Amino acid sequence: MSRIKRSVSLYSLQYQYMTGKMSLEDIFRYMKELGVEGIEILPDQMLHGTPEPEEETYREWNRLVEKYDLALACDDVFLNTNLYMNRTLTKRECVALIRKEIVMAHRLGFKVIRLVSMVPAWILEPCLAEAERNDVTLCIEIHGGLGFGVPKTEEFLAEMLRLNSPYIGIVPDTSLFCRRVPRVVDNYCRTLYGTNDEIIAYADKTYENGSDMFALGEGRGLDMDPTLKSLIRDPKKDFFYAHNLSGYENRPLSCMDPYVKYIRHFHFKLYEMTEEGTENSMDYGEVLRYLHEHGYDGYVSTEYEGNRWVLPDRPIPEREQVEKHQALLKRELLKIQGQ
Amino acid sequence: MFDNNVFIEGTCRNVEEGGKIIGYEMQTHITYYRAIPLSMINFIAVETDGEKVPAEDIRFTPDRIDWFTLAEMTTVTGIKWEYDQAATVRVLKEGGLSSGTHTVHLTVCTRTAYIPVPLEGNMTRTVEIR
Repeated sequence: MSRIKRSVSLYSLQYQYMTGKMSLEDIFRYMKELGVEGIEILPDQMLHGTPEPEEETYREWNRLVEKYDLALACDDVFLNTNLYMNRTLTKRECVALIRKEIVMAHRLGFKVIRLVSMVPAWILEPCLAEAERNDVTLCIEIHGGLGFGVPKTEEFLAEMLRLNSPYIGIVPDTSLFCRRVPRVVDNYCRTLYGTNDEIIAYADKTYENGSDMFALGEGRGLDMDPTLKSLIRDPKKDFFYAHNLSGYENRPLSCMDPYVKYIRHFHFKLYEMTEEGTENSMDYGEVLRYLHEHGYDGYVSTEYEGNRWVLPDRPIPEREQVEKHQALLKRELLKIQGQ
Repeated sequence: MFDNNVFIEGTCRNVEEGGKIIGYEMQTHITYYRAIPLSMINFIAVETDGEKVPAEDIRFTPDRIDWFTLAEMTTVTGIKWEYDQAATVRVLKEGGLSSGTHTVHLTVCTRTAYIPVPLEGNMTRTVEIR
């Protein structure tokens, strides 16, 4: 019987870390206290010198992993294709960088790499031997607005099917399954930029009707849904709001059907946990049931992104949001799989 | 979205070297959620009391070891601005800021591989120089 496990992406606690309120060890201890089974990390965020850190960094990492006995769920990797301002990295340069990341993932103890959206599909074949040697699977992130129907992601998926290797997979993100626009986004744009109420009401209505702004815009090969565009009264106040909406897709779960056996990890993105202990824009129960029914037994990982939508000079409730989210996942998983 | 990372409060001060005030500096976090090599900083801009500081008068260091001009930074791929590092932006100006109150505006702009628009962060602070 498959059993879905819970993890937390340390991305969720980035401000605690950046401002020095929590060290990496404090975060490990906190994860242990929360009863989290696995952790996910962006080495570029919390491990200096990535992808070639000093030996001391590895020693400290190993000490923490051993002391707090946490499983290593996923390593989030980026590719700086625009390292230089005057040119894009060549294929050979990109492959060399990804190979370094694979070696680093293995040394840290990870078996799954999440490649950020837009990583070119052509890195896969030349990196496959390194992935096999290091027992690390390369997975593209399928994120709202950057996933299905986006040429670079579709190319990656086609290459994944062509190569059909156990070392290539996907990491979907629950931003594909937003049933409404996150309330924190509406509030942020209304308060900070003065975004007009009509455009916000139109967006809300679109999601209520079962559609979304990606489907009506980029998904149809347009730069933006024409009605949405017509409601941009003042670009300074409205454009950012309108442009940002394509990141919240309202897809049916069946969009994952052709790729379900390639899912190696899953981002359970959250924007806002409510007082009632639910997430404001997504229904995790439906996603977890789908995964359980399809025999998924990897991690579902808390990824708090409401941090971007906290008004300036207000405290960012990272810890509170992570705790509530883990409690929700625990509750939902108990209903579905009894543990 | 990253405005709050820019210009750490209470860090602006004049810089003295060899008995002379050579300019002023302030500290800032990165306008991104991860470390990047310095070549991926699109630009840094300072405006003091409504006047734009010439780009060639700005120096940057992530760690107070190596200092770069903005033009030099475009080729620095071997040194990263780490996510938790408070970097220093220095403005070369003989005599620095006069004692009293000043309005200093700092812009930090980085680029990323998958977000089509650069990530710009802005912060204005009222600074007391004694």
